[in-house]
Amino acid sequence: MKIVSCFVDPAEIRALAKAGADELYCGVAQLPSFGPQESLPDMKALGDAVRSAHAEGLKISLAVNSVTLNFDPRSEASMVELLGEADGLGVDYFIVANPAMFTLFSRLKRLRAGLHLSSLQPCFNSLTADFFIRLGIKRIILPNQLSPYEAKKLFALCRRKKIETEMFDYRFFGCSYLNGRCHMHRPEYYSATRKYKGGSMCHPDMGACGMPAPGVINLSPAWKPRLGGIIKRFSERFGCGTTPRIANAASFFDFFAGGLGYLKYGIRQDPSAQKFKKVREMRLMLDLAEELRACLPPAEARRRFIEKMSGWREPKL
Amino acid sequence: MTGRVEHGIRLGGSVFPETRVKDALKRFDWVYIGSEFCENLLDASVCAEAAGYQELGKKVCLLTPLLTERGVESLSAVFKGLKKLHRAGRLAADRLEITVNDFGALALAAREKLPFTLNAGRQFSLNAFVRQAHGIAVLNSLSLAFLAKRGISRYEFSSTGTRPVANYVSDDSPFVREKFSLTLYYPYLPLTTTRTCMVGMPYIGPEDSMRGIECRQECRACAFTVDHPWIKEKLAVRGNTVFLEFPEKFYSTAEELRELRIDRLVYCPFP
Repeated sequence: MKIVSCFVDPAEIRALAKAGADELYCGVAQLPSFGPQESLPDMKALGDAVRSAHAEGLKISLAVNSVTLNFDPRSEASMVELLGEADGLGVDYFIVANPAMFTLFSRLKRLRAGLHLSSLQPCFNSLTADFFIRLGIKRIILPNQLSPYEAKKLFALCRRKKIETEMFDYRFFGCSYLNGRCHMHRPEYYSATRKYKGGSMCHPDMGACGMPAPGVINLSPAWKPRLGGIIKRFSERFGCGTTPRIANAASFFDFFAGGLGYLKYGIRQDPSAQKFKKVREMRLMLDLAEELRACLPPAEARRRFIEKMSGWREPKL
Repeated sequence: MTGRVEHGIRLGGSVFPETRVKDALKRFDWVYIGSEFCENLLDASVCAEAAGYQELGKKVCLLTPLLTERGVESLSAVFKGLKKLHRAGRLAADRLEITVNDFGALALAAREKLPFTLNAGRQFSLNAFVRQAHGIAVLNSLSLAFLAKRGISRYEFSSTGTRPVANYVSDDSPFVREKFSLTLYYPYLPLTTTRTCMVGMPYIGPEDSMRGIECRQECRACAFTVDHPWIKEKLAVRGNTVFLEFPEKFYSTAEELRELRIDRLVYCPFP
């Protein structure tokens, strides 16, 4: 398994390579990506980044994965030009989400780079995977809300069609709400009474008691005897913003054993030192998984990995 | 822009007294059934339900959610059931639509060669539109063409209680000639959704690698309203989805809606 890391400044590349990154990805201001504020400022910076990454022996992806890919027909030609320019600069892969991207890429005379499907275009089943593979996708970045068991058929398809798979490291990324379809962070739909402290709308972190008792509507009489338990569970989960997380040490090991190809870290707004630290932690985790798998029977390797990783705490800077 | 605006009622996923269903059917052209947010609520019983509503003279739209392999299996059984009823003459193709929220559902519909019209659901429409608090905007012509090629020309959204500014209405808009129509749900807008439910999913320990979302369909018990201390509006939650309620009516005539290409309204009695 290889490590893919984000970066926002070409100066971070050498240290990320040293920390253990095998591939890198970034955005560029001229092309719409998720989190545009953490993108490289221009095509020149992208060219510099490509050269630096390749000098370190690393491949580099460009995120053009804005779901809300907004442009009018008059801008289509310039979008194609910009994509062609990025391709010409030596970008190895493009990360895409919006379906319009496939049409734009088809208008390039020649596309050298490969296409990866962003986790913002959620792929939870083999039919969706096949749909995008037929459009030219060579790697699928899986959503963190998918379990290894549920992904079995999808993995079999990818193996058969030689398609790579990638997933975010469960320790550094993964809201329980669906990535790319969540509007909890859009206060335009609601009016805030105060600035959030100690959490965000999707992770209020106020505990079960921090939220007023919920009101019940449309109660089915048959469920009335069990309502108390349901309210308790709801209050705990909604107050903390933490419905059960599918992505954990166990699911990671099962994905690892099942042949997941790439492990991703993507908090572009993290300070540089934090990025290096996290990539080192990813390398340590992969080394541990490899080592246990090499010397122990599968079930024991899994048990020991989970035991070890359950005690893992993010090191402070 | 003239013509009638159709009216629908969404019955799937909530408990609705039979007496009120009968009353509702008198007032609505369309009945929306199925499951929009969770594959665990999707089963082949919707086929007979669809045929039953058509027998009562209603048009039917079947809502489908985001799918894992389990959902693909359920939906595959549903599609086969619908085709069987259609072949038996019990289901009219021109009075049944299917709303998809997953590219897998779109692929499955193509594979099964369904004779029914497909719509982009509220979670899927964002591939071609952006819905803001005060606006609906076409993102680009290419996404519309991409989905039109695959049979989609109707897009579903929620009302936000205000008249939306649209970027496809004025004569000088680059999108004015695009062909599509819109369905507007009211009064609940889905704000976010999760696969792991807020009421029905057991805790996952670090040693657990789960097989799927296991539940007893606790979401059927009730919906909740929450006075979130950080925001002024009340939130509503059912199962795995958080909603905001916008009960305000922003139009006074059907023409106002049709100008915005909204030719169908769907009332959701509950979140």
